[in-house]
Amino acid sequence: MPDFISHNISTINFILINIALGLSIYLTLATGLLSLANAGFMAIGAYTAAIIATKTDLPLGIGLALAILLGTLVALPFGLVVLRLRDVYLAIATLGFGEIVRILALNGDKLVRGITGDEELVIFAGAEGITLPYTSPEMILGLPDTTWPILIYDLALVYILATLYRSRYGRIQAAIRLDESAAATLGIDVVRYKLLAFVLGAAIAAGAGALSTPIVRVIDPRNYVFSRAVDILAFAVLGGMTHWVGPIVGATMLTSLPEVLRFLQERRDVVNGLIIMLAIIYLPRGLVDPRFWGGWWRRRPRLRPQKVEGPAEVEARPKAYE
Amino acid sequence: MKARFLMVFVILALLMAGCGAGETPTGGGAAAPTNTTAAGGGAAEPTAQPGGSGLSGEISIGAVWSLSGAAAIYGPSQKNAAELAVEEINNSGMLGDAKIRLITEDDRSTKEGAIAAFEKLINQDQVVAILGPTLSNSAKAADPIAQEKGIVVLGVSNTASGITEIGNFIFRDSLPESDVIPNTIRVTKEALGYQKVAVMYGEDDAFTKSGYDVFKQALEDNGIEILTTETFAKGDVDFSAQLTKIKGLNPDAIVVSALAEEAANIMVQARQLGIPETVRFIGGNGFNSPKLAQIAGPAAEGAISGAAWFIGNDTPGNKAFVEAYRAKYGSDPDQFAAQAYAGVYILANAIKNAGSKDPQAIRDAMAQIKDLPTVLGTFSFNENRDPVHEPVVQVVRNGKFEVFTGNE
Repeated sequence: MPDFISHNISTINFILINIALGLSIYLTLATGLLSLANAGFMAIGAYTAAIIATKTDLPLGIGLALAILLGTLVALPFGLVVLRLRDVYLAIATLGFGEIVRILALNGDKLVRGITGDEELVIFAGAEGITLPYTSPEMILGLPDTTWPILIYDLALVYILATLYRSRYGRIQAAIRLDESAAATLGIDVVRYKLLAFVLGAAIAAGAGALSTPIVRVIDPRNYVFSRAVDILAFAVLGGMTHWVGPIVGATMLTSLPEVLRFLQERRDVVNGLIIMLAIIYLPRGLVDPRFWGGWWRRRPRLRPQKVEGPAEVEARPKAYE
Repeated sequence: MKARFLMVFVILALLMAGCGAGETPTGGGAAAPTNTTAAGGGAAEPTAQPGGSGLSGEISIGAVWSLSGAAAIYGPSQKNAAELAVEEINNSGMLGDAKIRLITEDDRSTKEGAIAAFEKLINQDQVVAILGPTLSNSAKAADPIAQEKGIVVLGVSNTASGITEIGNFIFRDSLPESDVIPNTIRVTKEALGYQKVAVMYGEDDAFTKSGYDVFKQALEDNGIEILTTETFAKGDVDFSAQLTKIKGLNPDAIVVSALAEEAANIMVQARQLGIPETVRFIGGNGFNSPKLAQIAGPAAEGAISGAAWFIGNDTPGNKAFVEAYRAKYGSDPDQFAAQAYAGVYILANAIKNAGSKDPQAIRDAMAQIKDLPTVLGTFSFNENRDPVHEPVVQVVRNGKFEVFTGNE
């Protein structure tokens, strides 16, 4: 087991980061918002942490806190404006946000040079990106010191989201997702809760971006292109967006599957795509769908005791499937 | 509901099968035997075979290429060429009784993919050396893992700065732009005598941006005046604004640091705007693709570029390589293929000279490689483990690259 972990530690790290990203988009999706801005917020977080790490001696914790703070500060005004849009229109606007962040990172140095007048200044390093020095990870309790922060971050997120899911906020979220107008007539301040979900999602994504820097180490704009936004969306869509377990399962599967399937070589992408397609076709609400699994879970105990009696099983069947 | 159950079961079964099958070949087939043979060979070698190379069994070499994703246009030709070279080496008995086993992995053109592929090759397949990865920034992310574990890495397409600086196990056989471009400018300035140029470059790509930086330096060093510097982004199709401005400035030549598609469009639109054919296009590695002439057609005529390799080179074994590649894959090899092909031979020579499967011994033998005849020319590593060989300057004539001679 320790060998399995140490031999696959990067994949495990990427799974943990992707779980946080999946959870960040889950918050918006569970409130009925199709936002693709998370790759952009991830970039904000990653660049903040990378600049803190290269320009100062401050620890990663400070970078993480600043990343989350900056993500929140950007998400608040942007969310206020853009959340007037719905569905695909919101998707397009948030996609534009991701591109703006990427282009800003690419040309950030020009901007800063223009303001400061210092022609030699290098902060964002354009397309070459910021490269963090490599330090060999130290093992603490069987896990490298780079893995622990993400693991703790994920556990904290799960705790918060699980609490929210069962709280009044979770019901409000579901109400807005299922029917926004009906929710509004019930006296729910729809705009406020949408904004809350958007900002929380942005903060989580920024934090995930910050925590990814010691692992990816090379922070360049190419990390945060359109396909990254789609990948993050896929975690929640495949896993299921009605329960917080969904994006965890989705992110784990989508990150580990290409690695598990490496033995297939050229056919890897085909099989990978096939598995995802089958999952989407037969479980359109995601792998984790409380309605589907809940029904499954409840049905079995009713069948089992009667199975032992033999003849009663036949009678029980129509009852079980009604 | 029943059908849905079934499908879930099938998906889960597929997953299980995937996990199970994934473990058997790596756990049972490769890791254990290579482990034992490597240890056995290393121990037996000094006593048993004083004269011979001491090599036997399989030598596992990893290769990480971008076979899918944004850089998937480069990876496949690298993969083809590396496989061709391994096949030739194994058939020729160059390594005595030993055979090279090439394990190719795809990095999906991402840093995450490259890191995971390196981890898999080093931990599961126990390779002694890794070729690649295709992209420079992926190399910066993944190479430190190999450096830490003491596994030799030979980059065959990484041209950015800061690659071999990662550590003493990191080599590359791809000439950095900082070697190729100054040579191009010096040779063409002598032949064509241009004095003032306009510069265009793609600013959102690490490769074209660093190409621009080197061009700028080389132009300044050669006392050439830069009239204007215009930028564009990857995927742009309309360059008329930049070119109209350039036309007004009347340059002697236009220096373009772009990938083939954008470069081709720039050439077509420049000629359409009436920039005369005497104003030559000078570019870097991005020009060196058959796509340039295909897209630009007659507009590409006379375009000059520097390269590390040229299909008509009379370097050792180049003709045989081009023919073998054509016969096997039905297309012309490009520079990426040539560098990957040469890379396998450089590595094989180092393994042969080391006479051992020990990565440390292979590393030391790699660093000693000097004046080795390869398809790239007479090849050496300098003290920074960067390549030393003669770059070429080529020009497009009748839709094909030819060596630039200057008298035309």
